[in-house]
Amino acid sequence: MARITLENVKKSFGKVQALDGVSLDIKDKEFFVLFGPAGAGKTTILNNIAGIQVPEEGIVKFDGEIVNLVDAAHRDTAMVFENYALYPQMTVYDNMASALRSKLYKKDEDYIQKRVHEIAKMMNMDHLLERLPSQLSNGQKQRVAMGRALVRMPKVYLMDEPLAHLDAKLRNAMRTELKSIQAQFGTTSVYVTHDFMEALSLADRIAVINEGKVVQIGTGDAIYDLPVNEFVATLMGDPEINVIPGRIEKTETGYRFSMQGSGKSNDLPEDKDLFAKFEALGVEKVDLALRPQHLVYSFDPVPGYLHCTVYSYESIGNKSVIVADHEGLQLRLIAPNGLRVKIDQDVYVDTKLNYSLFFDYETKEFLARYNEAEIRKIAEPEEEEG
Amino acid sequence: MSGLRIEHVFKRYDNEGKGKKKKVNDFAVKDLNLVTEEGEFVALLGPSGCGKTTTLRMTAGLEEITAGDIYINDVRVNDLEPKDRHIGLAFEDYAMYPPLTVYDNIGFNLRAKGVSKEEIDKRVREIAPLMQCDDLLDKMPVKLSGGQKQRVNIARAIVRRPDLLLMDEPLSHLDGKARQAMRTEIKRLINEIKCTTVYVTHDQLEAMSLADRIAIINFGVLQQYGTPAEVYDDPVNEFVAGFIGEPPMNIIETTIVGEGEHFFFTFKESNLKIQVPERYYNVVSNGFKCKMGVRPMDVLIGGPDSKGTPEHVATFENLGDERRIGIRVGDFLLMLITEDETRYKAGDAIKLEVRAEKTHLFDIETGARIRSR
Repeated sequence: MARITLENVKKSFGKVQALDGVSLDIKDKEFFVLFGPAGAGKTTILNNIAGIQVPEEGIVKFDGEIVNLVDAAHRDTAMVFENYALYPQMTVYDNMASALRSKLYKKDEDYIQKRVHEIAKMMNMDHLLERLPSQLSNGQKQRVAMGRALVRMPKVYLMDEPLAHLDAKLRNAMRTELKSIQAQFGTTSVYVTHDFMEALSLADRIAVINEGKVVQIGTGDAIYDLPVNEFVATLMGDPEINVIPGRIEKTETGYRFSMQGSGKSNDLPEDKDLFAKFEALGVEKVDLALRPQHLVYSFDPVPGYLHCTVYSYESIGNKSVIVADHEGLQLRLIAPNGLRVKIDQDVYVDTKLNYSLFFDYETKEFLARYNEAEIRKIAEPEEEEG
Repeated sequence: MSGLRIEHVFKRYDNEGKGKKKKVNDFAVKDLNLVTEEGEFVALLGPSGCGKTTTLRMTAGLEEITAGDIYINDVRVNDLEPKDRHIGLAFEDYAMYPPLTVYDNIGFNLRAKGVSKEEIDKRVREIAPLMQCDDLLDKMPVKLSGGQKQRVNIARAIVRRPDLLLMDEPLSHLDGKARQAMRTEIKRLINEIKCTTVYVTHDQLEAMSLADRIAIINFGVLQQYGTPAEVYDDPVNEFVAGFIGEPPMNIIETTIVGEGEHFFFTFKESNLKIQVPERYYNVVSNGFKCKMGVRPMDVLIGGPDSKGTPEHVATFENLGDERRIGIRVGDFLLMLITEDETRYKAGDAIKLEVRAEKTHLFDIETGARIRSR
């Protein structure tokens, strides 16, 4: 077991500040995901936990003990990398057993056999044990690489984009599989990814990392539904969340939102808490953000709908995306597959405003959203034990 | 007039290296027939090594045709040099001339053909905005991002006003968002210039979102040729059914059991029982073994009054925009997708319903679709 704490960790490579004061508190047995774009510093954080790199400033603790000066081999972590680095001349069994046979752990063969079979069964690969890596598919290789890390019972599993170079289908299937065995890990795990679906699916909590800093820490629900800024909001979800700049103004009965440019305006549906927050904040210029599934469309004119033209219509698998253009503002919305849609034809779009999020127009920081209290209850569960 | 016509085309590579055992009948492309309409956008889709790039290269004249004929705008091109086939090529790697500016790269082939300077200038400036590279014309290739290079590459292919545009995985170097944006640009471009286009890809999403029709190829053999809706809703065999769509169609071995007047799909080590659509009653019988296919969108969780089969959630993934739920059926993980906001956890009891009318039957040996008679 291990609780891992990072306090104000800094690390630079030459002129590049890779980590700029990172603080994290990863709980025992937690599945913790470091999520962010390429070059954000996710892997550097992982390497600092593993002991492959040492912070220039700040502290790394395992269970309250400072480990800055403990070398990687003695931190008792197990790593899974994007490239699976299997020994090509060894069978799957021997690959999985290799760490346990090393000088550091020296387990007896009976124990090793029991443990390897246990993990192989859990990962649904007991039929592969006698094969050589060259006889495995990429998905199977990745499974073996992960299994090799799991046979040891380290304090913490560290995983660096283990599914990144599998093709989309295999990656999704492996992610689901990983999810299904995850409950049996029972060990603190830190998982690096740039794929929001992996982050949302697997994480107990996610830390969003950008430019060497922690941008937000929270459950998947919190990151998706209560993003601290527009950057986080756009990272989650495909197609990307729609951002509509405009201004809000008080009316006799509530608030109105007017789009920038066209000036089309709508009364905002009532939400007392939201309106109270607007009042307190006193903001005027905002970005209204709505996920694509909260836009509706019609190909026939409907009063009150926004007149747009179809910029594109593309399938994204089980559903399609229409990008609707309104005077240069592009709105993404979800539609079924197989519609007869012509590029540049008319389309009329309406917004389900009661799903809106509001961001500051200048700073792009989160201001408020509909049903905030209720969503917060789901997204930020109370700590179970003290 | 058709854009491209491929008739009974075969391809066998003759690489008789010493000591290498040569397999008989080792065709990279086997009896391929494909006709496109003029101005149509056709995707050649299949896993790596299926023969799709070979087909494209034979069409371009970069590869000899072992047998059969290829026509471009009704002209047989088997014996024509690539340069005489009136084609534009845009491949995965964009091999630009590094010492030349973007402008000169786009105009290069026109200049080689002796087109006048004024005409070149006119055409380059006409094409550049279409591909959103008008701001790049004075830049050198090294200064460009991957996406920009691919824009220039495609501009270069279409500036010649080809009869046929051939593209081979033009997006595979680009990552996530750049790729998606570029896909949209290509779609809009083809819509604008209305040039017959053949597009090779292994990515079913790309094919589904771009193409008017998709030719799905496996082991050198054309499996199905149809619109995206046709190959999605009405696949001819298990391969096509599994290849199109993500997450893929659930395809499970089943034994059909007759009870009273009805037939049901039953599954090994599972209580799941789904009524067979009545249209199949004349092709199935008690004890009939086949595979049942159903898309994750057509598997549902029933409400409190549901008559569905009681099952337990094996995996639950909240992906933000949607939720994916896995249910064990024997050792198969049956996937369903829902936009329902309910948060399940592994082990939760649910009632499983399947849109029976949306199920497909496949032959257990050949994978061929079993249709009602």
